[in-house]
Amino acid sequence: MRYIRYNYPTRRSLPVAAFGRGAWNGLESEIDRLFNAALAGTQNAAAAGRFPVDAYQDTNNVYVRAELPGFKRDAINVEVVDGYLTLEASREAEGEKGQTKAKVNRSIALPEDVQTEGVSAAYVDGVLTVTLPKKEEAKPRKISVAVK
Amino acid sequence: MNLIHSLIPSFSRAPVVAQGHDEKDLGPTVQPRYEIKETDEAFGLTVTLPGVTKDNLEITAEGESLRIVGKRSWSRPDDWSVIYRETTDATYLLEIDHDNAVDTEKVHAELRDGILRLSLPKAEEIKPRRIEIA
Repeated sequence: MRYIRYNYPTRRSLPVAAFGRGAWNGLESEIDRLFNAALAGTQNAAAAGRFPVDAYQDTNNVYVRAELPGFKRDAINVEVVDGYLTLEASREAEGEKGQTKAKVNRSIALPEDVQTEGVSAAYVDGVLTVTLPKKEEAKPRKISVAVK
Repeated sequence: MNLIHSLIPSFSRAPVVAQGHDEKDLGPTVQPRYEIKETDEAFGLTVTLPGVTKDNLEITAEGESLRIVGKRSWSRPDDWSVIYRETTDATYLLEIDHDNAVDTEKVHAELRDGILRLSLPKAEEIKPRRIEIA
């Protein structure tokens, strides 16, 4: 449910003040309001149990970064099963009916060259970074051949 | 408006009457998700700012608006290549008009694990009060 807020007539909305203000100002806030209304559904994506994820790689590791703001470290669960990385997090949220449990989870298919051993994860400033080492054979190798 | 600015950059040029803020130095911005709750004493503002540290967060109260700018503290190391991306590197920008309903001297802010919690005490003038009948 959305409210359209009642604005008390302030100095800003009085016609006298309109001379001092750009003609754009009113339009801008109106456009903001329309966009916010139109995008209201998409902004709830996080509430629907989704969160954005990035994947990066360098020569030795694959990194998965997920934006998971406001979770406790022990409420975040990272699992690697059958070539999938599963991220799961839960938190107690204060809803209208008292305490409710909010849970988000996501599975990501891992590239084949990723090792299941030695996976580590760090949670800093609301961003979870999972480091997955690549298999030895997938790493670029440098072989120096002695020339006789 | 940020969305329009990112689609049509010429829109972000300041109109003839100067705007209060200079946003050119921020680059592309994105509005973070936020929630406002109200009690008798205060407004509680919760903003999700994943990836923002205390040092990269700037909260300014100016006139009748409150402005929150959060820059991302993490940037991709040079030797990391992108496989897949869903997030953006854009700076968070949230501007909220409060029409002087807030006592900006007593604002309390706390940032933890990417969640910013602001407590904005109501100005004395708008607090509900009991009027004694003589």
